[in-house]
Amino acid sequence: MSEAAPAPAPTDRRRLAADLGRLPELLTIWVPLLLSAGHITSFALWTIWVSFTPSTLVPVSGWVGLRNYTAMMATRNWQIALDNLLVFGSGFVLLSVLTGLLLAILLDQRIRGENLLRSIFLYPLAVSFVVTGTVWSWLLNPGIGIQKLITGLGWASFRFDWLIDRDMAIWTIVIAAVWQSSGFAMALFLAGLRSVDGDLVKAAQIDGAGPVRLYGRVILPTLWPITVTVVVIQLQFAITTFDLVRALTGGGPGIATQLPALVVYDFMFQRGLIARGAAAAVLMLLILLAVLLPYAAWRYLQNRQSVHA
Amino acid sequence: MKKISRRAMLAGTAGLFAMPRLSRAQGAKPRLTVISQWSAGSDGAAITALGKKFEEKGGTWQHSPVPGFTTEMMNKLRAQIMAGDPPACSQLKGPEIAAWSKIAATVNLDALVAAAGYEKVVAPDLARLHKPGGKWISLPLQIYSTNMLFLSKRAMDKAKADGIPVTWAEFNALAEKMKAGGVAYPIANGGTRPDDGQKFEAALAGISPAAYRTAIMNLDDKALQAPELKAAFAQVRKIADWMDPNTAAQHYSINLQRFIAGDMGMMIQGGWAQGVLLNGGFKLDEFIIAPGPSDNRHPVFLLNADAFIFWQRKEPDLQAGQTLMAQLVMDPAIQTMYSQITGSIPVRTDVDLAGAGWSDGQRRTAAALKEAVAANQAVLSLAHNMAQENGMTAAMIDVLTEYVKNKAITPEQAVARLGNAVEGAR
Repeated sequence: MSEAAPAPAPTDRRRLAADLGRLPELLTIWVPLLLSAGHITSFALWTIWVSFTPSTLVPVSGWVGLRNYTAMMATRNWQIALDNLLVFGSGFVLLSVLTGLLLAILLDQRIRGENLLRSIFLYPLAVSFVVTGTVWSWLLNPGIGIQKLITGLGWASFRFDWLIDRDMAIWTIVIAAVWQSSGFAMALFLAGLRSVDGDLVKAAQIDGAGPVRLYGRVILPTLWPITVTVVVIQLQFAITTFDLVRALTGGGPGIATQLPALVVYDFMFQRGLIARGAAAAVLMLLILLAVLLPYAAWRYLQNRQSVHA
Repeated sequence: MKKISRRAMLAGTAGLFAMPRLSRAQGAKPRLTVISQWSAGSDGAAITALGKKFEEKGGTWQHSPVPGFTTEMMNKLRAQIMAGDPPACSQLKGPEIAAWSKIAATVNLDALVAAAGYEKVVAPDLARLHKPGGKWISLPLQIYSTNMLFLSKRAMDKAKADGIPVTWAEFNALAEKMKAGGVAYPIANGGTRPDDGQKFEAALAGISPAAYRTAIMNLDDKALQAPELKAAFAQVRKIADWMDPNTAAQHYSINLQRFIAGDMGMMIQGGWAQGVLLNGGFKLDEFIIAPGPSDNRHPVFLLNADAFIFWQRKEPDLQAGQTLMAQLVMDPAIQTMYSQITGSIPVRTDVDLAGAGWSDGQRRTAAALKEAVAANQAVLSLAHNMAQENGMTAAMIDVLTEYVKNKAITPEQAVARLGNAVEGAR
């Protein structure tokens, strides 16, 4: 482009030099950003398009309106998956936040060996979900795992058979997921606890606040922005959970622990119904947006408030 | 005038291009690109041996295995077809052959099949699957029955029984005897979807092969409400009550140790379990293999067959490779070699299994197939994707696996649910 342009005036030339100087930084920021944004949105748009076509084994063009959506929402698999998402999402988020917060508060007591303990609690995050699922599937199996151990110790009537109980099986996924990710919540909360103003804590202590009041009234209220972040991150994880369920229950007993991502994979790749699977994927995206858009709006308001303050 | 001459020119040019290609196709060194899921164990060994034979005949063998589930192999196949570059030959089975043949061009193998006289040595239902639209486009490679009955010798000793049960009534009586004799779980099982599906198809086909054919293979609305279906679900409930409930989603092979030890008594499983048992270090005299229960006392054979489909390619060397591969797959010596490695039985009904290298189980399976074909009782397996396309199969197995795992569902409710699932997936 520049060769073709007529010789620039001196001021233009200076501006050009300045622009060229910024070129590396522009390239490193914008090229990957645009590429990844384009990548994600193009596939999302493609999936949305496919969900309105009559595609089965391979994508084909055509228009069937909302038929894939109505058919998908009428299946037992999708209804079970939605119910499970509700139970799993709320149970998992609540328990992992509470566990993470509790661990963080305990670690915050300036105890010895904090680094070691922190690593231990964070470690599950480094394990793949397939490994987590497989290990817990053995631990929770009543014939070989925890139940067998305790009945073997003499408590013969002990029962812990959620893995094979249709109504309780979804909670086994909650257990494994909480084990895996409460360390992550702990790390964020711990960082938040450490950034609480020391003077504030001292002032409260001088005023005679005990540990319960100190945490309940002074420290925890400052943590709520972190709590929102943790909840949103855990929620989007809950909505997209796939491999953990595959390894732990395989969606069973029967189809009792189906989750939306499993249904998408099942219809797209196992049943050869690409358009139905795409419709389920778009529905999943809508659920995700229902979580992320309010969060983005909240962040926006927060920023505006802090600018105005 | 002008138009005709131009068309003649075009035809002439096309001919000029085609002639050397044709002559080259006869002379080209055969080459074959293959994708399959067979990468390890006896399956991997068998296809590697087939590749060696292909190379002995002067061909170049290019096999790209996609390990894992069949679906993963299919994803690779889908990607290659969409890219316009299908393999010359790929693994595919059952009604999926007809479904996939609609999305890409396949090779017409009629002349090769006729030259080999292959059609009259293949079970009719099986042949139909491999020639959708009346043309052979794929070739079955090996056969398993999904409803073989495996009996643990030690469990039989505990039950003080020595007769092999032939009907479902005899099967149930033996299970009771085993339970009374101290066998903890008369039925050995896994908890996967095909496992649950197999219990149902074995029950229904054993009660009435005709009802199985109309209801499950032809999806006849009236047949789907027939009393035989209710009876089949009732039989599945009995089987489920004798199973270890703690298997969750485990693979059936995890319980083989307990089966051989006599802690579990009987197993309704595909013939491939023989290979798995032998691979696990167990001996042939520790278990018995017999055809699955059949109320009319003639063996019922639930067919499961692996096959190759041939995709159209323009390259002369690939075309020569397809011809050579088709000839090899139909060859009785090659089928013998393949089945002896994997534990299946040959597709050809005229292969003699008397010789060394075959097990009693394989001989009994082959005899059962012959008898079942004669009595029109060789039917296609639902649980292993032979009776219906994957979408329909999955919708039906959803019902079956829920029924096995949920004892609150009655057989009547299960029949209604199955009917609804079929309606919903149509």
